[in-house]
This record gives sequence, C-alpha cells and structure tokens, in this order.
Amino acid sequence: MSDPILSLQHVHKSFGEAHIIRDANLDVIPGERHAVIGPNGAGKSTLFHLCSGQFAPSEGKILLNGKNIAGLKPAEVNRRGLARSFQITNIFPGVTVFENLRLAVMRKHNLQFVFWRSAARLRVVNEEVDDLLTKIRLTDRAQTLASQLSYSEQRSLEIGMTLASDPQVILLDEPMAGMSHEETDYTAGLIREITEGRTLLIVEHDMSVVFSLAHRISVLVYGEIIATGTPEEIRGNARVKEAYLGEEAA
Amino acid sequence: MDQILFALLNGTIYGLLLFMVSAGLTLIFGMMGVLNFAHASFYMLGAYFAYTLQPLTGFWLAIILAPILVMGVGILVERFILRHVHEHGHAHELLVTFGLSVVIAEMIKMVYGKFAVDYRVPAELNFAAFSLSGIDYPFYRLFMGGIAVVMFIAIYLLLTKTRVGIVVRSAIYRPQMVEALGHNVPMVFMGVFGIGAALAGLAGAVAGAFYTTNPNMALELGVMVFVVVVVGGLGSMGGAMAASLLIGITNSLAVGSDFRIADILTWIGMGGWAEEIGGLLTMRMSSLAATLPFFIMLLVLVLRPSGLMGEKE
Amino acid sequence: MKYAPLLLLVTVAVLIALPWLVSGSMLNAAVQMLIAALFAMAFGLLCGQAGMLSFGHAAYFGVGAFAAVHAMNAFGGEGLLPTPLLPLVGGATGLVSGLLAGYFSTKRTGVYFAMITLALAELLHALAPHLKTVFGGEAGVSSFRMPAWGIGFGSLNDVYFLTLVWTLLCIGLLYLFSKTPLGRLALGLRENAHRLRFLGYNTHALGTLIFAVSAMFAGIAGALQSMNIEAANYVVLESHISTAVVLNSFIGGVRVFLGPAIGGAVMTFFGHVTSDLTRVWLLYQGIIFVLVMMFLPRGLVGELVERIRNPSGEGFARTLSTLLARLASLAIAAFGAVFLIEFLQRVLSPEYRAGVTDGNWPDIALFSYDWAPLSVLPWAFGLGLFGIGIALVTMVNRRVAARKEAQA
Repeated sequence: MSDPILSLQHVHKSFGEAHIIRDANLDVIPGERHAVIGPNGAGKSTLFHLCSGQFAPSEGKILLNGKNIAGLKPAEVNRRGLARSFQITNIFPGVTVFENLRLAVMRKHNLQFVFWRSAARLRVVNEEVDDLLTKIRLTDRAQTLASQLSYSEQRSLEIGMTLASDPQVILLDEPMAGMSHEETDYTAGLIREITEGRTLLIVEHDMSVVFSLAHRISVLVYGEIIATGTPEEIRGNARVKEAYLGEEAA
Repeated sequence: MDQILFALLNGTIYGLLLFMVSAGLTLIFGMMGVLNFAHASFYMLGAYFAYTLQPLTGFWLAIILAPILVMGVGILVERFILRHVHEHGHAHELLVTFGLSVVIAEMIKMVYGKFAVDYRVPAELNFAAFSLSGIDYPFYRLFMGGIAVVMFIAIYLLLTKTRVGIVVRSAIYRPQMVEALGHNVPMVFMGVFGIGAALAGLAGAVAGAFYTTNPNMALELGVMVFVVVVVGGLGSMGGAMAASLLIGITNSLAVGSDFRIADILTWIGMGGWAEEIGGLLTMRMSSLAATLPFFIMLLVLVLRPSGLMGEKE
Repeated sequence: MKYAPLLLLVTVAVLIALPWLVSGSMLNAAVQMLIAALFAMAFGLLCGQAGMLSFGHAAYFGVGAFAAVHAMNAFGGEGLLPTPLLPLVGGATGLVSGLLAGYFSTKRTGVYFAMITLALAELLHALAPHLKTVFGGEAGVSSFRMPAWGIGFGSLNDVYFLTLVWTLLCIGLLYLFSKTPLGRLALGLRENAHRLRFLGYNTHALGTLIFAVSAMFAGIAGALQSMNIEAANYVVLESHISTAVVLNSFIGGVRVFLGPAIGGAVMTFFGHVTSDLTRVWLLYQGIIFVLVMMFLPRGLVGELVERIRNPSGEGFARTLSTLLARLASLAIAAFGAVFLIEFLQRVLSPEYRAGVTDGNWPDIALFSYDWAPLSVLPWAFGLGLFGIGIALVTMVNRRVAARKEAQA
C-alpha cells in the first residue's frame, strides 16, 4: 500500500461546547474513490470543511502529500492540489457555462489582474475549457447561461469547476442530492470518468451509489470514524450495522 | 467643563434621534432584506407633514398625526411598489427606494419650495430646562431625547412581550422561519415597513421643529444613518444604538472644539511646517465636525470591517 | 444583432457630421450628452458588470474635473499637457482616488458597499468648502483652453470634436476591457464573489482595481466637463450628480454594454429640451426611473435587446401593433400625468401664490389654454386622460395575456 495522499490524524473540531469531530483518523490512498458515510449530523460536512480549509481543526493534523494543511486558507489548500464541490450549487448563474469554466481555469494560470490581453485569445485557457466541457458533457450547452441549466447539469458544471485547477484530490459533497434516479446514474458515470487518475473523497447519502462507486468506505458516527474498509467489509462490519445500518433498519 | 457636559448631552440626544431613524432601517433590513434608501425621506416627510398640520391642529396633534400619515405612505410604498419588484432581488428593491427618495425630495421642493420652511418649536415648549454657568439649556432638546427614549421602550416591549414582536424578532434572525409561517408574512412585512416609516416620521416631526426643515434634510440625515449602520452593523439593534451615540457625541464634541492637527505637530516641532502647508492641517475641529463621522466609518472599516457589533458576512 | 456593427458605424458617422447638422445650442447639448454617456459607461462598468452599486460617483467625476482645471492653469496658464491630452490628468486623478476609495468601499459588499460610496462622496463634498486652494471656494476655479496642435479649441466645434474623440475612445477601451481576464472576473464578482474567493482569487483587490478603473473613466468624463465650461465648482461634487448617473444608467439598462451610454445621452437630451418647459425635470426623471425599475427591470435598451433576441413569436406585424398600441396608451396617460404635475407646479409656485389676493385665483396658462385652478375642469382633464391611458394599457395587456393563453 502506498503512502496516503490525504491523511487525517487525531483531528478534533469543536464549536464552543459542541464537539462535532472527535479524534477522526482517516487515510485516503492515491487513486482510490473513497466515500464517507454516516447518519445525519455525524459531522460529514464539517469533516469536508476541515479538509478544504473552510474551518481550522481545534486539534490534530491534516496531511496532504505528507504536508500539514490544517488551518490553511481554502485558496491555499486549493493551490496545493485539493479541490472541492459544494453541497449547494455554487456557480456563476448569470454568465454562460463557458464563462463559468473559464473563470475557474484562469486562476490556475494565474490570470487575475490582467487587463492587456484578450480573454478570447488565451489559447491554453480556452482549450482547457473546451476539454472540461467535453469531460462534463456540456459542450453543446457552452453558450447557455448557467442559471438556465437543468439541476443535474448545474451539478456537472459545479464538478467541472472543481476539476479546473487540475487537482490531485477531489472532494465532492453530496453531488447527487436532490437528483432523480436517471440523473443519479448519469452523474455517477460522470464522476467515474472524471476521477480517472485522481483521488476522490465523496460524501453521499445514496447507498447504492456509494457501494458501487467507492473502492473504500469510511463510516463517521458522532464525529468519529468507526470503520474503514471495502464495501464488503463495511457491509459485514458489526459496529457499522449497530451504529448506522441498524439505525436505518429500525 | 460645563461646555463638555452640554456637548455630551447634545450629542446623546442627537444620537438618540439618529437611532430612532436607524432602528427602523435596521428593523426593515433585518426583516425584509431591503435597504430602504427612502427611509430618511420618511423622516423628511414627517417634518413637512407636521409643519403643514401644525396651523390646523396645533403642535401636539400634528406630531401625532404626521407619523401616522408617514406610516400610510410607507405602507403604500411597500404594498404597491416594493412588493411589485420583490422578485427582481434586493438590489433592485434598493434601487427603487433610491428612485423614490429622489421623487419625494423633488415633490417636496415642488410643493414647499427649495428653501427651509418656518417650522419652529412652539412657544409653550420654548424655554430653558436648566442653566449652567449662565448658559440656558433648551427644554425642547430634552423633550426630543425623552420621546426617543419612550419610543425605544415601546418598541422594546412590543418586540419582546407581544406575539407579533416574537414573529418579527424571529424573522430578523431566521427569515426562513417566517417564510414558513406562510400567509401572514406579507402582512408582517407591511406592518414592519409601516412602523419603521412611522418611527422615522415621528423623529422628523419632532426634530424638524428644532433643527431646520428643508428639502436637503433627508440626504443629510440619511448619510449619517448609513454611517451609523456601517459602523454599527446592519441588523444589530445594539450596534445601531452604540454607533448612533458614538457618532452623535463625537460630532457635538467636535463642534465645540478648537483643536487643530497643526497643534499636535507643534508639540513635535513641526508646527511651522503645518502652518505653511495649511489645508486640513490647520482646519479647526469645529469646521471639520461634519466630516468626523465619515472618518470614524473609515477607521471602523479598516479595523473591524464587519462593524462594531456586526457579524462576519 | 447582425446589424449592430452597421448601426454603430452609422451612429459614429452621424456624430461626426453633427456640427453641420444642428444648431449651436443643440451642439452644446450634444457635448453634454457625450459626457453624460461616458460618465454613465464608467458607472456601468462598476455597477452593471461588477455588480457594485455606487451612490457616490460624483466624487470621481468631480475630482477629474478639478484636476483638469488645475492642469490647464499649471505653469502660469501654459498647461501641464497640450489641451487634447488634458483628460489624461482627470483620468489619472480619478484612478488614484478610485484606488483609495475602492480600497475602503470594497471592504464590504452589497448594501454596505453602496452606503460607503455615498458616505465617501459626502465626505469629499463636506471637505471641499474648507479646502479653498484646491476647490476654489464658492467661486470655484476657472481656466482657459489653450490652442494646441494647430487647433484653437476656442470654438464649440473644436470642443465637440475633442469630447467626441475622447468619449468614443474611452467607450472603445471600456469595451476591450470587458473582454480581458480582469473584465471577465468583474462578471464573476457580480455573480458570485464568494465562489470567486474560493477559487483562489483576491476579491478585495479585484474589486478595488475595477472600482479604480471605473473612477478613472469617470474622472475623464469630469475633465471633459470642466474643459467644456472652462471652470469647475464644487457643485460637481454634489449628490445630484451621483444620483443622475445612477438614474440614467439604469433607465438605459446596465447589463447591456451600451445601455448606460444611451440612457445618459437620452436623459440629458430630454433634460436639455425640457429645461425651458418645466421646472421639475428631476421629478420626471425620478418617476421615469421608478417606473422603468418596476416594469422594465432590464432598462429601456436592455428590454429592447431582449425583445430582439427572444421575439415573442407572434410575428413582426402583431408585435409592432401591440407595441404601438401600448405606446399610444402610455402617451395618453403620460400626457395626463404631465398636465397634472405641471398645473400643480404652477399653482404652487411662489410667483403664482404672490398673485393670489382675497381669494381671487387668476387663470393659469398651460398648453396654450387658460385654466381656472379652482374649477374642476383642469383637474378632471388631467386625471381623466391619465385614467383613460392606464385603462387602455391594461386592456392591451389583457389582450396579449389572453392571446398567450389561447396559444398555450
């Protein structure tokens, strides 16, 4: 087994008296699709916020490629190769799909205060945008306003923007939330394609998706990771059944 | 010493007045998410309405009727204009109220002319409350302060002790909750807007008699109120109160001060240079008083961008 | 939209030929229109593209105006730069003050931003009377345009062309700016600043920079203004200048590129032609603005562009007849409203009130008739026309709605 690309070591996070994450330990191996599941309120979103820099952990280390990223700002974490999507669709609604992706790609090329070049002539940027459009299957919607996309298309766009910085590790926070069966299947296929050669950490409620998509699954209950393993191992794990699946059955 | 006491008292009362207007603004913003640019126009309307009514009804009835009329205007504005543009978003609502403030100011100019009208403190209230070292302190100032205080107590009780108040308060902190209350939301919005307008109208009716009643008063006070909410943090009543008092008091302290920046520089031996440069450095604090609140705002923006008691955005 | 370049070409050709087409007074108005158009475009960059609503843009316009006058007076009247280049001074001053003001105001977003811009403009306005050396006190600062490059700059024609060249140049630059990465990021700032920050952009610096660019063009517009009238007074810092640019830009429509310019030019034109007819033009401007915001939220040009892009599907003839019917009914309502306002204004005017003696109210001449203010007639006339117009509009709207329903 290779060294973990993302590693949480004894991570705590509390808001005042509320201990949301307690002593979480998690290793994500390069190239795997790793899912985090757990009942509502287990702290999954907080865990993501900690990894992506929205929150700083109260205690513990978060290693990305062996370097501690705990407490770094989101933009800095992003620069080091970890990108995330949001639970709520977080796009630029009033501009075209193409523009959405271009805004995301320009950052990677450090085009920020540039007012002497035409954006239309940034060949590399535009090629990358076209590439992303193909990947997320939105090429023929390129000139549509993002606000006019269907819900699943908006989620695809969101994922496309996450990919724009060409990250090693991608965090997807409930990408299938609110989707129909068809849309879920479609998005699962999309995720499989785009995470080829990258590492994925995903939070998802749809168990059929989780068990078919993930190589390994971690179970988070009351801020603690109580088990990590392959889908089969998780299915057979007694503690998981008791704490999580059992709860669902009851 | 007595002068400082006077300045403090004046400042406190001016601050209370500012709070009367900014409280309504904050209430409306917290509840509806609308920054009502025309809020200070309601203040002006209050003054002009009271001025118009005074010869017919006498002062007391005028300052009671004027806010009620202003409340009517506020309710009409909410019902027929703001609600109409609600779907286009808050920025659009802000712009519409901005347009309304222009329309109101122009209408006032058309009806009452461009210059100040002769709206004065009635003779029966125009006496000295007390005097210190030979200087009389006008009773009417205390009267304004008193009205402001009574208003706060009334609003406070309304917000904390009544059912409607609980709905309104929860709406400030949890707008979705009130959304979920369904059918009565528009009514609550209209009510809050009307009461906010009435508060501003009352402030105008009372203060217009003491300060001047002219078509510029809305802009002058409006800018101060905006400074107050930037400094205090919109949506925070406590912040609005603290900022109102801070700005009122610094303002009136500065008015009575002959301090110049050049004077400090003299201490470190640069007085001559400062006199030569002139400009800002040799201006007396008293003439800069009007600009002081803006500098406080800039300072707050640098040190604590979210305002004294504001939450982070 | 394929006719857009042609339309643009024709407009520019007309603008170039204008001095030979119109009277001197109209040409003077044209100068004002160009300046208002440029100022509105500067505002449009900030507000339309970057989504930052400034209520204090007079500050940068004014700063540019004063800078240009001082630059004209520099070196004993020789001028800091040759006359045609003086707007650069206004632009540079606007840029610097925009950086400073932008730094503070973009610390906050949304309504706070709007309030801070207003407060900063008022700060400058409050300080100006105390800084006599810079702002010249009550009298302001005056100056002369010096001849340069073989051009006299004494005639109105010369001033017109100077203004035209600068306005077109700046609008062109603003267009190019909107196509650059920074210009594109302005849109991101408007649409979702939070997301932009998360992508790793420095949104505060971006906001400040775009604010400064907008202030720079406002400064150029201000410089053109003071060069035109060869003077600057602290009236240019007053809030009504800031107000006018907001109203004009939104009446035109801030989300379409030339919307603010057209709004600025058209409203200035109407302000000019009505200045002899009415004393309450600002009131009309405010009412038009509120109505546009309520019923045509994209602005006039914005709505037009939208209609051309997404035709109603009823065919050209039908659309045109509906439009004409609406316009005709609106014209009736507007005439009624204008009649009422003008009549009221005349009744209330101090001159008239001075003429009222012992309950004797003289007749008032309006639209070449004499009306007795105490009779019902004028009021009924105005209200009646207004009511008829509104009823007609409602009827047309009902018909259109019914047709749509029938189709669906």
